[in-house]
Amino acid sequence: MADQGGSQHGIARTSRVRTDEQKKRDLERIARYRELEDQVRARAAEGDYSPAVFQLTSRLLRLNPEYYTIWNVRRRCLISGSFSRLSAGSSCSTACSTSSRTATTAPSSTSCSSSSSATTPPAPGPPTAGKSGTTAEPTPAAADPPEATESEPSEAETRDLATLQAELVFTIPLLLESPKCYWIWSYRLWLLQQAIARLRAPLARTVWEEELGLATKMLGKDRRNFHAWGYRRHVVARLESPSLRGGSMVEAEFAYTDRMIMSDLSNFSAWHSRSRLIPRLLAERGADEAARRAFLDKELQQIREALNVGPEDQSLWYYHQFLILNLVYPNKHPAMTPGFTLQDRVAYLRREIEEIKELLEDYADIQLIYEGLFEYTLYLCQLEGKKPKASERTDLVAWLGKLKQLDPMRRGRWADLEREHDLTEGGSDV
Amino acid sequence: MPQTFNQLPEELQLATTAHVKYIQSLDSRKDEYDYWLTEHLRLNGLYWGLTALHLLGHPDALPRSETIDFVLSCQHDSGGFGAAPGHDAHMLSTVSAVQILAMIDAFDELETRGKGKAQVGKYIANLQNRETGTFAGDEWGEEDTRFLYGAFNALSLLGLLDLVDVDKAVNHIAACANFDGGYGVSPGAESHAGQIFTCVAALTIAGRQDLVDKERLGRWLSERQIAGGGLNGRPEKKEDVCYSWWVLSSLEMIGKTHWIDRDQLVAFILRCQDPERGGISDRPGDMVDVWHTVFGIAGLSLLQYPGLQPVDEVYCMPKSATAWVLGR
Repeated sequence: MADQGGSQHGIARTSRVRTDEQKKRDLERIARYRELEDQVRARAAEGDYSPAVFQLTSRLLRLNPEYYTIWNVRRRCLISGSFSRLSAGSSCSTACSTSSRTATTAPSSTSCSSSSSATTPPAPGPPTAGKSGTTAEPTPAAADPPEATESEPSEAETRDLATLQAELVFTIPLLLESPKCYWIWSYRLWLLQQAIARLRAPLARTVWEEELGLATKMLGKDRRNFHAWGYRRHVVARLESPSLRGGSMVEAEFAYTDRMIMSDLSNFSAWHSRSRLIPRLLAERGADEAARRAFLDKELQQIREALNVGPEDQSLWYYHQFLILNLVYPNKHPAMTPGFTLQDRVAYLRREIEEIKELLEDYADIQLIYEGLFEYTLYLCQLEGKKPKASERTDLVAWLGKLKQLDPMRRGRWADLEREHDLTEGGSDV
Repeated sequence: MPQTFNQLPEELQLATTAHVKYIQSLDSRKDEYDYWLTEHLRLNGLYWGLTALHLLGHPDALPRSETIDFVLSCQHDSGGFGAAPGHDAHMLSTVSAVQILAMIDAFDELETRGKGKAQVGKYIANLQNRETGTFAGDEWGEEDTRFLYGAFNALSLLGLLDLVDVDKAVNHIAACANFDGGYGVSPGAESHAGQIFTCVAALTIAGRQDLVDKERLGRWLSERQIAGGGLNGRPEKKEDVCYSWWVLSSLEMIGKTHWIDRDQLVAFILRCQDPERGGISDRPGDMVDVWHTVFGIAGLSLLQYPGLQPVDEVYCMPKSATAWVLGR
């Protein structure tokens, strides 16, 4: 299974020998931790989801945000009546201000131990109490969300909003410390679902809107964090949906990728996001043939300028491929320029190949340039429905030779391509 | 590379004895704080450790009966397994439980002393989103292609894949494909080597590899190998031993393992081992853990490192076990 956040990443290997003093300190920490854990588990097993247990989960989750069962206990505390009983000031908002970091550990980077000889019997408590089957929508204690009216929020709604906001605040320092912890992200999304279930759309919307700010903040700290990118996509999709009475945000999100790319051309996550937004963007703009052509021209120019600066950057080449695939396979990939004739597509591809050849004048030893030339020349032949001409074949053989020389790691691939396209030097049927 | 172990130069020797001892020691570290902080991964950790031991040729290094006792002690009435006794049931730990029981040929014990195969199958099948075909991790609804793969993995081992809507799940995976040939967590998400493994493996289990753009994906995967020989998980990211599994197993599934430099990757993985105290880390000189240990060893097995048992690239279990369980 994929990383669950319990593995060691980037922690220097040190001697595993601890001093007596360290051992003693560890034993004390273990005792404190286990006592807290025992309390929460024993009370949850008895079905006790009181505010007192809720507070214990706060302490435990600060020590170990990877402890998914405790996040579930916390959810049950909220659901089992506490959602409307638990006032914002009672337990959470005071205990969980963003500055109250008590945990000194880094639970996201702890080691994973196996346990083969554990003999602990199963806990006597009830198994998971939830309903079977899966839906992303939890069943809230309250019934349907209140009808949308212009009146003031009800008392219950105000309390629920305060509870949700306090919960969202509670997770922020944990997220900042463990930005790759799946459980925190999913707990947060669950809270947001609760907002939709419990609050009228305009109020729920304010909660979701805040989340876009969080995603931006997290991506500011780590611009490749795929949790944060995924969260952002999810939040945007919801903000656009009728459940929050939203409208399209595609222009704003596209502009966001612009900003991310400006500050770091190598950010493939932003280029990827762009590739997913473009088809919708053009459709929603009602872009006609000329507008689409102008759009593609601008994208190509931008990526060529970037390649002029960083021809060794894979992120840029992948995005360039995305634009080229639009020309080569207009039916397979979401077409940016569906009105292009075959001649248009051939002309564009030819121009790109010429532009890439110019890169060689400044960069003679970058394998990605040769790979681009090789791939695109084969596409050109494919579009024109012919085999490579003698001059093209000479080029292909030469570029493949460069690839073998500059990039011997992937020699197996070069050998396959050589065979597949019948490019062994000398032997050919031109 | 020489085919026998003792012909290898010292820096290319796998410290098998140290690794076995390291894995055996993992449950005797109860005086370490981390041991308690990682209890939510105990069953997964047992699967990782046990798989590594099987691949190292020491399948009996952990006592079988205690292993079964522990696994069964994690099961809930629902059929699902938690990470440890008293932890809530979750797809991830349930899959590990099934994989462990399959590896040590203990499905019978699941019938006689546990809640039975059918109940486990029911637990997993109930986590399928019948509208979209994907799977949740547990009753709280987080969805991810990791869980879809986990469901296919465990259900196929149990012989219960017909409990779920395979076609719908396959359509969902197809919707997660990107222009670069890779797959993400969900439709729209960036390609990521870990998710590519889960999607390609799930398609392989479903017999639908025809949906994979093998040329494009193979290229992307091969470009994960960077200077130094290690593999990264996405473009322009650092290398990490765990991708020796996610990337390599995916390449193996689509028949393109030869598109990367085998010897350089072997050397990179071996540079990440702690030859004295055992275990493998993410990068040379870092702290080891059982997670990187199993994926490093599984990677070496795929690279046919001498002396290792062959690993099944779809299940991350010894091939001998999957061959037997799946009746191949």
